[in-house]
Amino acid sequence: MKTTTNFKAAIILSVMASIMVACSSNKKPIATDTATEVAGSEVDFKIEKSGAQLWGEVCNRCHIAPSPADYNDTDWETISLHMRVRANLTEEEITKIETFLKSAN
Amino acid sequence: MTLIILGLGSSALAQTYNTFEPSKTQFMLRGYGHTGFEYLDTGGEQESTFLGATFAPIFLYKHSDKLMFEAELEFELEGNELKTGLEYADVMYVLNKHMTVRAGKFLLPFGTFMERLHPAWINRLPSRPLGFGHDGIAPASDIGVELRGAFDLGGPKMNYAVYVTNGPRIKDGSEEPEEAGMLDFGYYEDVNLAKALGGRIGLLPLSDSSMEWGISAYTTNSTGAEDSDYKDVGAFLWALDLSYVKSITPLQGVVDIKAQYNSSNVDTATYYEIEDGISEPYSFDNQSSSFYTQLSYRPIMSGSDFIKQLEFVGRYSDFNAPEGAEWEEKSTQYAFGLNYWLSWRSVVKLSYQTTKMEGGHDSDGTTRTNGLFVHWAIGF
Repeated sequence: MKTTTNFKAAIILSVMASIMVACSSNKKPIATDTATEVAGSEVDFKIEKSGAQLWGEVCNRCHIAPSPADYNDTDWETISLHMRVRANLTEEEITKIETFLKSAN
Repeated sequence: MTLIILGLGSSALAQTYNTFEPSKTQFMLRGYGHTGFEYLDTGGEQESTFLGATFAPIFLYKHSDKLMFEAELEFELEGNELKTGLEYADVMYVLNKHMTVRAGKFLLPFGTFMERLHPAWINRLPSRPLGFGHDGIAPASDIGVELRGAFDLGGPKMNYAVYVTNGPRIKDGSEEPEEAGMLDFGYYEDVNLAKALGGRIGLLPLSDSSMEWGISAYTTNSTGAEDSDYKDVGAFLWALDLSYVKSITPLQGVVDIKAQYNSSNVDTATYYEIEDGISEPYSFDNQSSSFYTQLSYRPIMSGSDFIKQLEFVGRYSDFNAPEGAEWEEKSTQYAFGLNYWLSWRSVVKLSYQTTKMEGGHDSDGTTRTNGLFVHWAIGF
């Protein structure tokens, strides 16, 4: 029982720590290349992730990322809509992943 | 004449070609199946068996870019009987970039295991953690309506789901006295006017989406039939879940951590047990919990084509059923596995699992079950 209690305590503490990190973090994926900065402007530029990068990050959260060659464009459209809802992905994530899969199959 | 024939031929060819253009509506059959071998030793009593194949076809009908119907059937051999089931069947519509509505029978986002991780080709071990599945405390699916969606918070992401469903039925002991007080999430007919409300919020605090924390809640004011003594017996369940998946270069591979804690609180009620022909009332504090955590590692950066297909898995899980209930139980389980991935959707799993159970409605004492499993799962 002590082991169990420790596990539960660990998970609750980790939740709190994670939320604190998320809330306190000011880090944003900002382009550091000065060439992309606008002179005299404080506008931050978010680095746009590619579809290939999102495919590697997002799909692997539950299962191994699928091979683009295993389905044709039409099938990827159907699968993308299904996975958008099943895995609760953002519109940007699934649009980019679908575009990548259709370009690489 | 030759020109006319060529003209007609090219026209026919063009029409034939056009039939292969993608249609606006699309239908697709996907799914998964698995089979295997199991050897079990329960307190010295041994059994071994090849398992009949399980087949779970998934039907996807994409009506438009926003409207889809999805359904999953389950076919499984249990002994000599073919068991069939409807895992889910729902229609969904994308209302806007942050909101989708679903209606029908759908997998409940109570934690992540049952909604996202339980299919055999995704689950890293042949078995489910304690607390899930038959006699589990975590609801898996129900009939109702749901809103869900996701937001990009400028690096971190958040997703949500809220739903209203028919809710569970409480087992009053009239049919199975040894399960009195247990919630039956597999009873889909609505037995009362009350509905179950639930939801989950997921937070992905890191910009690479490698970590996700989720908190889920599920409540209903009534689990008994309208005209029964259990009409006012309500229930409140909650869960915490964690996922962390990261490719770590110094480890030459991918580390995958999953965890979920489930808690179930059902209002206290009076049940009856028959002893020596006399009906004796009894009650108990109806609180249950379960927990699992799993760590897996795939050395995908190995120089060996064989080793990079391997995966090492370990899992701990426990389950605590209410003290005083006929189904009182305290169980702990350790499972270890070695997987070989034939492709991204086909895996052969070898695992060893040991479970220690105190109580349970099959036994009053302590039972230890050791098992060896070889499973082959494929998604399609």
